[in-house]
Amino acid sequence: MSLTVTNLTKTFTTHGGEVHALHDVSFSVKTGEFASIIGKSGSGKSTLLSMLGALDIPTSGQIEVDDVDIAKLSAHNQTAYRSKKIGFVFQHYNLIPNLSALENVMLALEFGGAPSKDRKDRAAELLAEVGLEPDQQKRKPSRLSGGQQQRVSIARALANHPAVILADEPTGNLDSETGKKIFDLLHNLSRSENTTIIAVTHDLDIAGKTDRTFKLQDGKIVKA
Amino acid sequence: MNVVTRGIRNALRSPVRSGAIIIMLAISIGLIVAMLVARASVNTKIDEVKSSTATTVTISPAGIRGGMGGGDPLTAEQISTITNTANIKSTVSTLTDQLGTDDTNLTPSLELGSFGQRQQRFEGGGNSSGTMPQPPADEGQSGASTSAQRTMPTPRTSITGTTDPNSAATNGSVLTITSGAMIDGKGDTTTALVGKSLAEKNSLSPGSTFTAYGKTFTVSGIYDAGNVFENNGLIMPLATLQNLTEQAGAVTSVIATVDSSDNVASTVSTLKTRLGDKADVTSQQEQAASSVSSLQSISTLATTGVIGATVAAAAIVLLTTTMIVRERRREIGVIKAIGGTNTKVIGQFITEAITLTVLGGIIGLTFGVLASGSITQSLVSNQATNNANSQQRGMGGPSGVIRGGARAVQENVRSVSATVKPETFFGAIGITILIAIIGSAVPAWLIARVRPAEVLRTE
Repeated sequence: MSLTVTNLTKTFTTHGGEVHALHDVSFSVKTGEFASIIGKSGSGKSTLLSMLGALDIPTSGQIEVDDVDIAKLSAHNQTAYRSKKIGFVFQHYNLIPNLSALENVMLALEFGGAPSKDRKDRAAELLAEVGLEPDQQKRKPSRLSGGQQQRVSIARALANHPAVILADEPTGNLDSETGKKIFDLLHNLSRSENTTIIAVTHDLDIAGKTDRTFKLQDGKIVKA
Repeated sequence: MNVVTRGIRNALRSPVRSGAIIIMLAISIGLIVAMLVARASVNTKIDEVKSSTATTVTISPAGIRGGMGGGDPLTAEQISTITNTANIKSTVSTLTDQLGTDDTNLTPSLELGSFGQRQQRFEGGGNSSGTMPQPPADEGQSGASTSAQRTMPTPRTSITGTTDPNSAATNGSVLTITSGAMIDGKGDTTTALVGKSLAEKNSLSPGSTFTAYGKTFTVSGIYDAGNVFENNGLIMPLATLQNLTEQAGAVTSVIATVDSSDNVASTVSTLKTRLGDKADVTSQQEQAASSVSSLQSISTLATTGVIGATVAAAAIVLLTTTMIVRERRREIGVIKAIGGTNTKVIGQFITEAITLTVLGGIIGLTFGVLASGSITQSLVSNQATNNANSQQRGMGGPSGVIRGGARAVQENVRSVSATVKPETFFGAIGITILIAIIGSAVPAWLIARVRPAEVLRTE
């Protein structure tokens, strides 16, 4: 599945006037490619990720996934796009606190339309794949370490065989050793599942290990 | 796990907070149930009182009020006018008198007391030296007097001559005969019913005899009217009392029954026109309206209570779910980001609100049903007592004229039994559901406004 961004612009209107979070951004990522986006705070990384994940609507420009411009989808179709084509991995994991690790993954499967009888087995399989033991799968997030929570987050992102995984600082909240393991996990997944991964990161070492790196500065791509 | 399961689990996510919310809701819903039951029971009683007293009209001589007023008794001609008035189905005539110590060998069971002495201080031109005037030899004859003196006033025995002894019942239905037999009020015999306390005071029982107006009477039965004053009395046939007091055809009150409640107003109007200023005509409808005014106040109070408690309960659910939505804004954003639709998220939060409301509702309904009886009784007895006190102050003395009428209505008004009817119960459930819907509406709107992008902005 190819992802092509063309002349993407996002402008916010504030009391102080208009703020151009993204300005005329264009790039493309091939299927199974692991790309990283680097840049300082306020450079527009998270805004770009929101646009790619159909969490926000661009002011202008196109985001084509398999020749479909997701910016022009209805709200209902955008929700369907997020549940079936996109997997999110967040810096702070963002697991639902009163659900177990297994139930968190099952939740994504429910939204993706998986039959209820298959959800539990599929969730257990995914959690095992990311390295979570069966007894850990039954724990709630508060009883898991940061690394384990991020593994659950990755399993949740993979639940519905997404075309693209969007990761926002996936190692930003982890120690370097755990961060390296998580990066390796994502890297291996992109290879084994042929899943496109776009990760926002501050860590230049990690960015250096990805297939391609885009550098954002003041809402523009200055290096690709 | 589906939306409903998640909603129910989330409702119990924080046991302490959920428990507090459920208790607050239970109190509000319990209050709603208790007030609904009180309102329904009181309204039923109002209808009952109105229907039971809706067709009677009381006619009494103008100016008479028990032993306090003046005026002449109604004459046989006036009675004939009453009975011949259109729409009047039946009449009960009553003549009352009092027996002094010279008129009977009976000893009154009531002590005169300071209030009774004060009531009699004007009779015969009493003085302050402790020597009181002798009461007239024949108290039934107006204008008759003697110059004989006695030392102190004495209590008297009230006597009622009536065509229907049941009209003396204070509960408005049938006079309770504790022993012996009822008398025929339409006869002319020297038989009498004796009040319970008067009989005890004079050791009378059915078959015993006593003297009154120089005649020997046989006790036919002992009655219990339910109050001390009435139980110090005698009831005999109307004609007997009329003859003994030389008041042939005279009565001090007539209770007429109209064929339909729709004709009461017109009948009252006709009677007032025909009897002119010689008689006071009052309908039991008017008396009932006055007596049930306290119940109507309770009904209004209960309605206000239901509305207040509903608003309070809805506010509790609304504020709680609003607080939950605000606290879990990020979680909502995550659910939307991973593909959760607005419908699913709103459904989950509505389930949470309904779960809390249902739990509060179960406890509240149970509490409300159990407490409704005592709450209704408390409301009714307090209000009826206040109403009775204010009415007694306004009457200026005991009323023997409408005995068994307004007083019976008052007694009847107090006897409200709280009954949980199916429609009341289902009404309470309906209000509970309404509370959940109102309480969920604003949070649902807030949820719909949460944008999934917010989850990344807070990273």
